[in-house]
Amino acid sequence: MVKAAFKVRHITQRYLRPPGALKEKDFIGRCIRCNQCAEICPNNCIKFFGSENGADSMGTPYITPREKACILCMKCGDVCPTGAIKPIKRELEPIVQYVEMGKARVDEQLCLSYQGKSCGVCYRACPLADTAIKVGYMEQPTVLDACVGCGLCERSCIQIPQAIKVIPNHLLASQLKATHLKERRSGDNDVQIIKFK
Amino acid sequence: MTFKSSNSSSRIMSRPYIFRHLNKVRWVCLTLVFLMLVLIPLLGIYQHYVSASAYRNLDGSEKLLFDSMHALSSPFTMDPENDLDALKGTTWSGQLFGLKITDPLAIVGQMSAGLEVYWPFVLTGLIPILLTMFFGRFYCGWICPATFLYELNSNFALWLKKIGVYTGDRKFDRRIKYLILLLGIIASTITGTIIFASLYPPAVIGREIYFSIALSGFGGGTLFFMATLLFDIFVSKRGFCRYLCPGGALYSLLGRFRPIRIQRVVETCNDCEKCNAVCEFALNPMRDDFGQECNNCTACIAVCPQDALTFVVSLKDLDNQGPGYCSREYRSNSDERVNEK
Repeated sequence: MVKAAFKVRHITQRYLRPPGALKEKDFIGRCIRCNQCAEICPNNCIKFFGSENGADSMGTPYITPREKACILCMKCGDVCPTGAIKPIKRELEPIVQYVEMGKARVDEQLCLSYQGKSCGVCYRACPLADTAIKVGYMEQPTVLDACVGCGLCERSCIQIPQAIKVIPNHLLASQLKATHLKERRSGDNDVQIIKFK
Repeated sequence: MTFKSSNSSSRIMSRPYIFRHLNKVRWVCLTLVFLMLVLIPLLGIYQHYVSASAYRNLDGSEKLLFDSMHALSSPFTMDPENDLDALKGTTWSGQLFGLKITDPLAIVGQMSAGLEVYWPFVLTGLIPILLTMFFGRFYCGWICPATFLYELNSNFALWLKKIGVYTGDRKFDRRIKYLILLLGIIASTITGTIIFASLYPPAVIGREIYFSIALSGFGGGTLFFMATLLFDIFVSKRGFCRYLCPGGALYSLLGRFRPIRIQRVVETCNDCEKCNAVCEFALNPMRDDFGQECNNCTACIAVCPQDALTFVVSLKDLDNQGPGYCSREYRSNSDERVNEK
C-alpha cells in the first residue's frame, strides 16, 4: 500500500507544470512546496495537488489549461527559491528554447475550422502566434515545433470538448515510448503516431 | 532589586531594563509574523485585482478587500502590481522585500530528496543558519507561526484544566525529535520527495493559511495540525515542539554552540522554581540546565522575582551551581558549615 501511494501516477493524468519546470522526477525532488509560484502568478492559474496524484507530488503546483492557462509571464521562475522552476527571461527566444510544458494537439474531427467553419480562436489566443501555431486559408490550426504548451489555445477553444489539447511533456514521453513499443511489437511502421506538424 | 546590595562579583551587574520585558516583545514579534502570513495572501489577491483592472466588477466584500489593501499598500508603493511581488511566501520559504529567505529544514530536505546541492537555494538559508548559530533555537520562540498557536493552545489547556477537563502532561525523551529528523531525511532520500513539508507545523500552517485565503480552502495539512494541537492538550504539554518537531531538532543542533545564552546568577537566585514552571520546553533553568534546546523565549527571565536570570556571552552553559545563595536550603547548609567550624 505504501508503495502504491508513492507510485507515480502522472502517466495517466493530464496536467501541466508551471513554465520552466524541470523534468517530472527532478521537479518533485526540488520543489519544497512553498506556494510562492501561485502567490505571484498574476493570472491565478497555478493550483496544488492534494493526494490525488500520489503522495510524492502532494503540494506541488500544476495548471489545468482548460480552466485557466499560463500567460507566460515567467514570474514563477523568478520567485522559485529552489530552481525547480527555472528563471527564464520573458523574451521570445528563451521562452521557445527552455519552456517545455507540453505540446498542443489538434483534433481535426472536432475542430470547427477543419469542418469548414472558420474559427481561428486558438490562433488569436496563442501568445506565440505564427511561431508556435499557424493557420491555413480557412484558419485551420497547425501546431508547430516551437509550441511551449502554455494552454491558452485549449482555454479559448469554443468547442466542448475542446478540439485543441495540450499534451504535457511527461505524457508525451510516455506516449512516444508506448508507440515505439507498439511499433516494435507489431513490426508495423504505419501505426498512427501523435502528429505535431 | 536585592542584588545591588550584594558584594561585588563580576557577574552581578545591573541588567538592562528591557530583559524583563523581552517576553512581551517576543509576543509582539510572533503576532506580527502571524499577521504577515495572513496579510501576504490578501495582498496577493489585491494584486490579482489590480492586474486585471477589475475594480468595477468586484462584489462588496471583494471591494472591501481591495480598498483596505489599497489603503495599506498605497503609502509604500505606486505600482502594487509589480512592487508587491517583493513580499511573498511564508516562514517556510519566502521573499522579504526581495530577499529570499528559506528555512534550513527545507534546505536539508531538498538536499536529501534530490541528492544534490543547489547553491543558489542553499544560500537563501544563510541568514537563518547564521542567526541560529548565534542565538540558538530562537526561531522556535520568536518567529514560528506554530509557536503562536501552540502557546495559545497551552493556555487553553490550562483553562480546560481549571474547569476540570483532563489534560495530559506526560514526559518523553527529548531525543525523539533527532530520531525523527534522521528518519525524515532517510525517508526523503528513499521517496525522492520532501517529507518535511507536510510534517513541519510552520510549513503546514503557512500553506494552510494561504490555501484558505487565496485558494479553495483548507487542505489536508489542517487535520495534521489539529492532531498536534490535541496531542499537546491531552497527551503532553507542548509535546510536539518538545519531543517531535524535526525543525526544532535541526535548530537545536545548529545552535548548540551559540555564544548568546541565558544564565542563572546563583548569588541572587532563591530557588523559587518559577522558571521551571514557566519553561515551555520543560528545561531546568533553576539548576542551570538550558542546553541546546533553549529557544531564548525569555519567559523565565520575565517571571524571575529575583532578577537572577540574564543573557550572557558564553560558549558553554555553566555546570550545576547548586542551590541559589538566597534560598533556604543554601542558608541552612551554610549555617551547618558555620556550626562545624
